[in-house]
Amino acid sequence: MDTLSRIKDLASKEFSLDAASLDPSAPLDSFGIDSLAFIEFMFKIEETFGVSVADEHLKSIKTLGDLERQVAAALAQAGKA
Amino acid sequence: MATRRVAVTGAGVVSPLGSTLEGLHGALRDARSGIRRLEPAVAGGSGVQVGALADWNPAQTFKEAEAANLDRATQFALAATAQALSASTLPLEGRSERVGVHWGTGYGGAHTLETTYKHIYGANEWRTRPLTVVMAMSNAAASNIAVRHALRGPFANFATACSSSAMALGEAMRAIAAGRADAMIAGGSESLLTPATLAAWQALRTLAPADASDAGASCKPFDKRRGGLVLGEGAAAFVLEEESAARARGARILALLTGYGNSCDAVHMSRPDRDGQSRAMKEALAESGLSPSDIGYINAHGTATSVGDVVECEAINLVFGDAAARVPVSSTKSMHGHLLGGAGALEFGAALMPLMSGWLPPTAFLEEVDPACKVRHVPLRAEQVSPPRAVMSNSFAFGGSNVVLIAARP
Repeated sequence: MDTLSRIKDLASKEFSLDAASLDPSAPLDSFGIDSLAFIEFMFKIEETFGVSVADEHLKSIKTLGDLERQVAAALAQAGKA
Repeated sequence: MATRRVAVTGAGVVSPLGSTLEGLHGALRDARSGIRRLEPAVAGGSGVQVGALADWNPAQTFKEAEAANLDRATQFALAATAQALSASTLPLEGRSERVGVHWGTGYGGAHTLETTYKHIYGANEWRTRPLTVVMAMSNAAASNIAVRHALRGPFANFATACSSSAMALGEAMRAIAAGRADAMIAGGSESLLTPATLAAWQALRTLAPADASDAGASCKPFDKRRGGLVLGEGAAAFVLEEESAARARGARILALLTGYGNSCDAVHMSRPDRDGQSRAMKEALAESGLSPSDIGYINAHGTATSVGDVVECEAINLVFGDAAARVPVSSTKSMHGHLLGGAGALEFGAALMPLMSGWLPPTAFLEEVDPACKVRHVPLRAEQVSPPRAVMSNSFAFGGSNVVLIAARP
């Protein structure tokens, strides 16, 4: 499974959403993911991928697509990509 | 302004004796105990032998991901509240600013904190779940109730140890009586059966060991053989409403909450005091406009500690005088254990049983009454009587807080 699919899969479980309907370019709050839910979700993303996304990059994440790019960058930096 | 009286129109329960009010009453009527030997995974190295775990399967109420974001105590609180609201059929639309939440808990999210500390101190693993704070804070249950049902009226969380949820009910009654709310969700929850909390309690040397022949019979209030309290967990929630509005909408009224007494011993952190207890009982009677002879049942605090049971019986005698020989007293902790911050609310639910059905809940396993506990007991088995005019529920806490509630037949 590619990175985006894994993120969608995690999001669908965490927020009881249909993975197929998750538009990677839609704002996270359109899925009901507020700031607190996002921080908790990031914690699980980092656990799952074994990476750490720096605080200064968190603010730029507005969509699942943004999240995928940050995770991919962190994976590359960690030599896991 | 005419006096605004307060009706109880819904109840919800999560307890070691079933997870409905009817289930609780049925178990009390049958003198069934929810106390069990604790599994090693719960007791850890604490040495605590028995406890009363709630009859609880989170999957029946919550999705897995949802349950993972709620402390066990908050899960209980939400489940009990949903039952109470559903039973009350209280319409909430368009009036949510007139409906509030008063909740009681001794501690809050102990499971959440203990899990976190286990990672940090046990495994030197400092990476911590971002939801830890909002799951563990002591108002987590109250706030989740408010958010889930959009209840925007008077809000408070009471943390006075074992009187917390009784205080929540009493203060909620006053909020309605004073016109600050038309209806309130009031109750309490607690879930402290975790290894570290059990170890702390065990250090106090107030917990009962397992009864050698029947673990379910380990808590024996008012009995010469009593060996201390047994910790339990659970929640109870009630819908309180201004009486005339409840009648106007045809609500089923379980009881009227008529009196609330609140006092502090201010003498000792753990030793109870009959003066403080009796002042709370007198205040609740005075507010209800009732005399001791109107009370047809007392649900005692009755934790089964050597000192506590005697002091409470002395306080009852001080307040009730000659009537003390006639008013039935029992401690249902013999069956559901001590729910600590949730105790007052659950036992208020138990105290409603005589009003609703005429059954007096017993003190289970009371075979050898301690002569120093001189009250009219309901030993071993429930008794059927004609429903009394009113009942009293006592909740006395470490730290000296005393709360007494009186409910009357509608």
